[in-house]
Order: sequence, then structure tokens, then C-alpha cells
Amino acid sequence: MKMNKEAPGRVHFTLMDAIRLGRGYIRRRLDRSLINIASIALGLSFYTTMVISDLLYSTSARLGGGQVAVESYQYWLVAVALVVSIVGITNAMLIAVYERYREIGTMKCLGALDRHIVLLFLVESFYQGLVGGLVGFSLGLASAIVITGFGAGFDIVLYAPRVSLLTIFVGSVSLAMALSMVATLYPAWRASKLNPVEALRYEL
Amino acid sequence: MSYDNVIELRDLQRYYKLGAETVKALDGVDLEIRRGEYVSIVGPSGSGKTTLFNQVGGLDKPTKGSVFIDGVDISQLDAYELAWLRCRKIGYIFQSFNLIQVLTALENVSLPTVFAGTPHDEGLKKAEKLLDQVGLGERLHHRPTELSAGQQQRVAIARALANDPAIILADEPTGNLDLNTGMEIIDLLHGLNKMRGLTLVAATHDLKMIKASDRIVWMRDGVIERIERG
Repeated sequence: MKMNKEAPGRVHFTLMDAIRLGRGYIRRRLDRSLINIASIALGLSFYTTMVISDLLYSTSARLGGGQVAVESYQYWLVAVALVVSIVGITNAMLIAVYERYREIGTMKCLGALDRHIVLLFLVESFYQGLVGGLVGFSLGLASAIVITGFGAGFDIVLYAPRVSLLTIFVGSVSLAMALSMVATLYPAWRASKLNPVEALRYEL
Repeated sequence: MSYDNVIELRDLQRYYKLGAETVKALDGVDLEIRRGEYVSIVGPSGSGKTTLFNQVGGLDKPTKGSVFIDGVDISQLDAYELAWLRCRKIGYIFQSFNLIQVLTALENVSLPTVFAGTPHDEGLKKAEKLLDQVGLGERLHHRPTELSAGQQQRVAIARALANDPAIILADEPTGNLDLNTGMEIIDLLHGLNKMRGLTLVAATHDLKMIKASDRIVWMRDGVIERIERG
């Protein structure tokens, strides 16, 4: 009996492939992505409002203005807001996994490994976190200027240390991306564990 | 006669637990399929056709027995090797096409080449050529929702060919198509089988598909009832 043996090789799916595919998903399922982006942006804007207000009040105090500070309980509220936005994203991503059941099954038929599916979901959440972070920071900055403006003057932001503002910017956007990705871990893991046979039979 | 079996099934069994009952979806199947052969798997629903499809496609593990693809016992493969097998050795065609809705025809067809590690541009070129061959050269950038059922199945066929697999597995490929479109798809598949020497294994009810095949495997209750020459 003639046998044509060939040792099995490896499948490939680079970060670049995931980015290319993930971007396509976001662009063409924009409504879903916008929900996640809005969720992260709202949670984050609350956070940046607090942090920037704190900075502006202390800037004002340094310049001889009144002593107003952000109360510590307000930070608790911020923490709650962030948790709520994580839960919201997790929920939206779980729904996305159900919607994409057959698609995930198909990708596994075409050679995708579990971790390729996880990577694809994480890339999507990375971009959503990035955009949500930028939008959330902008909203937070604007509302902090308005809130502190009545007590400390609307131009106080011009006197705030640039380095501190920049640190808050980088910190907020990183936080948004981290939260978005953490929120996606469980849905992505669920998606990756799908059995292709069941996933292909699934009717939505 | 030289034997070159691209698929070999040895006492293949697949049982499912359904509550307290054990369902014997496959109950000892022995089958050899030669390279370049066109085999139809026929039988009533529940006879084990789809289970057989999943076994040969490396999508499911047998309860007992073995599946050899190109001489490799696939129950011995790990997850990585199995993914490679699905990617490079087997092209799948489904009744409901299973195209990825957010991707264009071109992107759908080039997707398997991504997993095969083909450079992006090369994969796209290959996909373009394949779509041209299945008669969709003018529909490269259409999404599945913008294509007719027959066109979608053509995209699926082009996708199945993307990594030059040894085997094309088709599960009721004409099941969702009208008579004429179904006939076109059968001609296309039959042509690929004859021109490219592709091994084609199709589970089907379609008499026209059955007629075109080299051998017909009749299944009933998880076993092969009889095998006919086409």
C-alpha cells in the first residue's frame, strides 16, 4: 500500500493578521463597537473628571485660591462607574460571541486555534478601549474645566502643570484599554472553547 | 491496481450519551477512499452522515477506531496538528455556506491562506484567481448578503480550494439551492474533481449529485449498508 505521509506542520495567525481582521470587524459591525466604546468612554470620563478636577483645584490653591478638594467618597463612585462599564462591555461581548457562533466554528474549520480566536477578540477590545479612552478623556477634561471653572476660574487649566495633565492623559487611556481588554477576557475565552461541530450546527 | 487511499476509516465508532441512553451515531464503519475519487454518502437523516463528515474532517474525535488522512491517524494529533490538518488537507463546503458575513468574497476566500501562513498579498492574489475560476471574478468585493445563494456557495467552494487541500468535504452542498443553481454547483464540483484530481466526499440527498459520483456509500443506523459503483 502506497502511503503519502507528510508530517503535520503548524498553522499561523500573527498579531498583524489579527489586527487586519479585527479592524474589519469593528468597521463593519460599528453599532456593536459603538456600544462598547460609549460604555468605556462614560465610565472613564467620570474618572478623568475627578482626577483633573483634583489637579485643577490644587493648582488653584497653589496660586492662592480657595481650598476646595475632591471628596474621597467621590472616588468610590468612580470605582463603581468603572466596574459598571466593565460589566457592560463583558455583557455586550458575550452577546457578540453568540452572534458569531457559526463564524467561530467556521474559522476553526479553516485552521484557527483557540488562542487565535482570543487574540482576535482582544484586538477588537484594544481598539475599542483606545477610542473609548480618547473620547472619555476629552469628555472628562471638558467637564472638569466646567465644574472647577465656577470656583477657580475657567482658565485655571492653563496654569495646571503640563506634565501632570499628560500623565493623566496617558494613564486614563491606558486604563480604558486595560479595562476593555479585561472585560473581554471571559467572552473571548468562552468563544475560543467552542466546539466547531456544535458551533456550526448553531442557529441564531 | 495501485492503492493510494487518501482516507481510511477503520472500525470507526462514535457514540453519544443522550441521558441514560447511548446513541450509536457510527457503529463500526470501514471505508477506503482513493485519491481523486468522488464518493457520495447517502442515507436517511440520522443515519450518521454528518457524524461521518465531522470525523473525516477532524472536527470530532471517534469513540473507538481510527481515521487516517493521507496515512496519518488523526486521533493521534494534538490541537495544533489538527488545526493544520483542517487548514491544509481538507476543504469544507456546507449546506448553509458558512461564509463570514462581515468579510467580502475576496477576504472570505483568502482567510484560509492566513492560517496557512501565506503572505497577505499572495493570499489575496490566490483568492482572486480562485474566485475567477468559479465565475465570480466580477464579484470580488461583494459581501455574502449581496450575493445570491448560488454565488455564495461558489465563494465557499473557492474558499475550500484556497490551500490546495487533498480532500473536499461537502455536507449537502446543494441542500439550500434551487434545481438549476444546484446543477451548476454539481458541475463545478464534478469539474474540480476531474480536472484537479481532487478527492470529493459529499453527504447528499441530491439524486443528480449521486449520479455524478464514482461510488455511492449507503448508510443506515450508523453502519454502511452497501456500496454501489456510480
